Amino acid sequence: GATEWNVSVWGKRRAFTEHVEKLAELVSEKTGGSFTLNVSYGGLSKPRENLDGISIGAFEMAQFCAGYHADKNRAITVLELPFLGVNTLAEEVAVSNAVYAHPAAQKEMAQWNAKLLMTSPMPQYNLVGTGSPRDELAEFEGMRVRATGGLGAAFAAVGGVPTSVPATEAYNAMESGVVDTVAFAQHAHLSFGTINKADWWTANLNPGTVNCPVVVNIDAYEALSDDERAALDSSIDEAIDHYLTNYGTLLKKWDDVLAEKGVEKVMISDEVLEEFRAKVAGPISAKWVEDMTAQGLPGQELLDLVHATLKSARGS
Amino acid sequence: MAGHASVLEDGSALSRLDRALLRLERVLALISGLAVFALMLLAVVSVGGRNTMNAPLPGYVDWIEQAMPLIAFMGIAFVQREGGHIRMDLFIGRLQGRALWLFELISVLLILGLMILLVWGSWAHFLRAFDMNAPLWSRDSSIDIGIPLWPAKLLAPVAFSVLCLRLVLQVWGYGRAFLLGLDAPVAVPLIQDVAAQAAAEAEQLAGHDNG
Amino acid sequence: MDSIEIGLWVTGGLLVLVLVGMRVAFAAALAGLVGLIWIFWSKKGYDPEDFGWALTVAVKTAGQVPHSKVASQALSLIPTFILIGYLAYYAGLTRALFEAAKRWMAWVPGGLAVSTVFATAGFAAVSGASVATSAVFARIAIPEMLAIGYNKRFAAGVVAAAGTLASLIPPSAILVIYAIIVEQDVGKLLLAGFVPGAFSAVIYVALIVGIAVVFKSVGPPVTGFTWRQRFASLPGALPIVFVVVIIIFFVYNPFGGDAWGTPTEGGALGAFVVFCMAVLRGMKWAEFKSALLETAKLTVMIFTIIWGVLIYVRFLGFADLPGAFSDWITSLAMSPMLILICILLAYAVLGMFMDAIGMLLLTLPVVYPAVMALNGGEAVSAADSAFGMSGPMCAIWFGILVVKMAEFCLITPPIGLNCFVVAGVRPDLSVQDVFRGVMPFFVADAVTIGLLVAFPQIVLWLPTLAG
Ligand code: NA
Ligand code: NA
Repeated sequence: GATEWNVSVWGKRRAFTEHVEKLAELVSEKTGGSFTLNVSYGGLSKPRENLDGISIGAFEMAQFCAGYHADKNRAITVLELPFLGVNTLAEEVAVSNAVYAHPAAQKEMAQWNAKLLMTSPMPQYNLVGTGSPRDELAEFEGMRVRATGGLGAAFAAVGGVPTSVPATEAYNAMESGVVDTVAFAQHAHLSFGTINKADWWTANLNPGTVNCPVVVNIDAYEALSDDERAALDSSIDEAIDHYLTNYGTLLKKWDDVLAEKGVEKVMISDEVLEEFRAKVAGPISAKWVEDMTAQGLPGQELLDLVHATLKSARGS
Repeated sequence: MAGHASVLEDGSALSRLDRALLRLERVLALISGLAVFALMLLAVVSVGGRNTMNAPLPGYVDWIEQAMPLIAFMGIAFVQREGGHIRMDLFIGRLQGRALWLFELISVLLILGLMILLVWGSWAHFLRAFDMNAPLWSRDSSIDIGIPLWPAKLLAPVAFSVLCLRLVLQVWGYGRAFLLGLDAPVAVPLIQDVAAQAAAEAEQLAGHDNG
Repeated sequence: MDSIEIGLWVTGGLLVLVLVGMRVAFAAALAGLVGLIWIFWSKKGYDPEDFGWALTVAVKTAGQVPHSKVASQALSLIPTFILIGYLAYYAGLTRALFEAAKRWMAWVPGGLAVSTVFATAGFAAVSGASVATSAVFARIAIPEMLAIGYNKRFAAGVVAAAGTLASLIPPSAILVIYAIIVEQDVGKLLLAGFVPGAFSAVIYVALIVGIAVVFKSVGPPVTGFTWRQRFASLPGALPIVFVVVIIIFFVYNPFGGDAWGTPTEGGALGAFVVFCMAVLRGMKWAEFKSALLETAKLTVMIFTIIWGVLIYVRFLGFADLPGAFSDWITSLAMSPMLILICILLAYAVLGMFMDAIGMLLLTLPVVYPAVMALNGGEAVSAADSAFGMSGPMCAIWFGILVVKMAEFCLITPPIGLNCFVVAGVRPDLSVQDVFRGVMPFFVADAVTIGLLVAFPQIVLWLPTLAG
């Protein structure tokens, strides 16, 4: 008979969900319409409960971000550590795939009856800000920044003041001086309007990003016929390629937007970046490894895996 | 829409249980109210801290999200006791005697069944955030500053359980009224006619008019 | 049976439960839970062995909703807005406002009624709930109007109608609820309520003056206040102005500078100012405690409806009913404007029998996507749209229209809560008296709604300014 899967994502259809849409298209095509994915934008669950919904079995596929419930997916939070040194979306895909394939990550997800299918590669969360650009370490002292979780902690380590503001109020918060700077990926700076308030954007700070996997319910995955499973598995790479192409055009547009709005593209010098990493990345990563090890997870191994993968992805 | 209703009392076991539970319900409702007040103070601290010391309250949004279940759930049984959950009484307001008690009985039985299932469902929601072996017993914490979420999630099954107790008393009250054909049973909210109801509402404000 | 049919059956069942008097919050939650069980079971072909699975999945899915939906920063505006209203009452701000309005405005024809409308509009700027506003002014304003020979039905109608202003003029619990359901910026919606609220008040005033000019007996002007008396009445009303300024400036700075913070903070600071006022005016612990209890009762009642209805809405998501309805609406061979007017008329009919919050929560998940689709989608530009406005602007405009309709239903028979409350406060007035007195205001409301539909700029001007 026909197999119909419900897929829970959120917001509107956008660059961030293009791989899921592409996957739905490909799977239906390859099975002659007998296996379909119904993508629902927020109708089935709140984003933070998508993993819960998978474990209950309410829907078969879902997207979420590791930081939404770090305690439920500790292993993959390695990908959200600050200043990992990821520079491109292709690198982001490579490190995500490596970590998703690690037994510790898979075992932890299996507790929730979830199987990691693919990532949703997100660009680095660079800052937009008002006033004169902050390109020296000292200038981060006392800077009120809209950044949550690990990224907030990273800015706090150099004297910044992380301020909790919901994404939807980020523009308001910038306008009212509640925050001086906001850390988002480019598409979010565009859709939440923070770029309209900005005087500058840090092109190469690359402080870190969020990691948002797409997972499937294991029971549902195993209940697929061989053909259906093959159709699903074989479409993943193509779906990711489509995502990267699509995001690529968005990033081209980004440069035009910067020019049009007169936003300065701030390049931070290598020395300053090095200072940053020493002060932030080292201690926070060490703390993370320590916490994970205490909870019986191979923290160091996961971190090493990320660095090794980055190296080989760059062919160096 | 039925807002306020009156609950009769006497010396029976049912009425004594009703009043005993009411004491608990009132405390829980007051906790809801105090949580609203705390929410207000939280904002004052956050705005004040930001503007005077460049020190906004860390995790302001996280704290609000923790306080909201306290506000939203704790008074639920108290409101049910008073008959304060909104309904359309256009139809039921015309019934009298046994027919009225029968409809009320069916209605509270359905709600009781629903709430028992929701105690189960919200308990499962709590369990997914709770882990005896994890630091702070937490398997799910707030996004920004990592406050454990299980206490807030636990509030739903707790408040819903108290509501279930209240509903059991109301099943008893309406069931008794139906079997005995009573006119004015104790321990259940009675529908007042519209005028009496509005007068009661107005009186509540009038009692404190110091303007 | 496909999921759409299940959706329709369950919705029908829900209507029956509500009509026979089951409490709305629980009726909606029950319908949602039963619907979820049905839909999950249907996925397994109604195999008896799978019923247990369907029940478990449905219960766990529904069991997430109360915590998950309620733990929201945006919803935290509702309890603060309710608290402001109760505290303002204990701080004596209400009477001070009426006194000031009387001394400044009562010289026009129908002067006391006009003053009542202005004072109510002022109180609306600190109160988030309409019914409470009418209850308060029925006690303060009606006796004074009767004392100088007003028609008692007319006096009662003025108070019942003016009370509805509280939900358009921010703060407004019901606008927050709309913003949450449709996922729009709360600040912009609150801002958008200002002008239509003031506009409604002006139309009420025009109607009163008109009536008073034609029927001399209805409401004589009150003259003789000296300028000294007028200015002496202002300090008492100042805190209200202060609170209003705080709330506005936390949303949008009209002088073009930076706003001072976020709407959530503005609401809470407003409550704090009123709280300080109440303490200065000698509020006792007992009064404070009862303000807290009353706030808790109203808040819990509203939140129970919210999560109850959202369980039903979660089921609708699985049944994909909103999508189907919106496809159907956009496929109709009628002009979009005509369809919109039909929707508003349907609200007027529904509003005769339902309360405002329940009505919006139940209908918006289905109606809102349809209206947005009618305009051309969420991301449509003004040029390509059916109503001549962008997607986000359409969301604001429709929100104000719907809230105005919801307010209208507070004064229409047979279930017009504001009228019940006014009749309850005054033993000498029957509900029928109030309904008869409020009838001229139906005309005013119809005119207001017509103008808001015809000239969306009235609604959109301020939010556009704010960017
Ligand atoms: Na208001
Ligand atoms: Na009505």
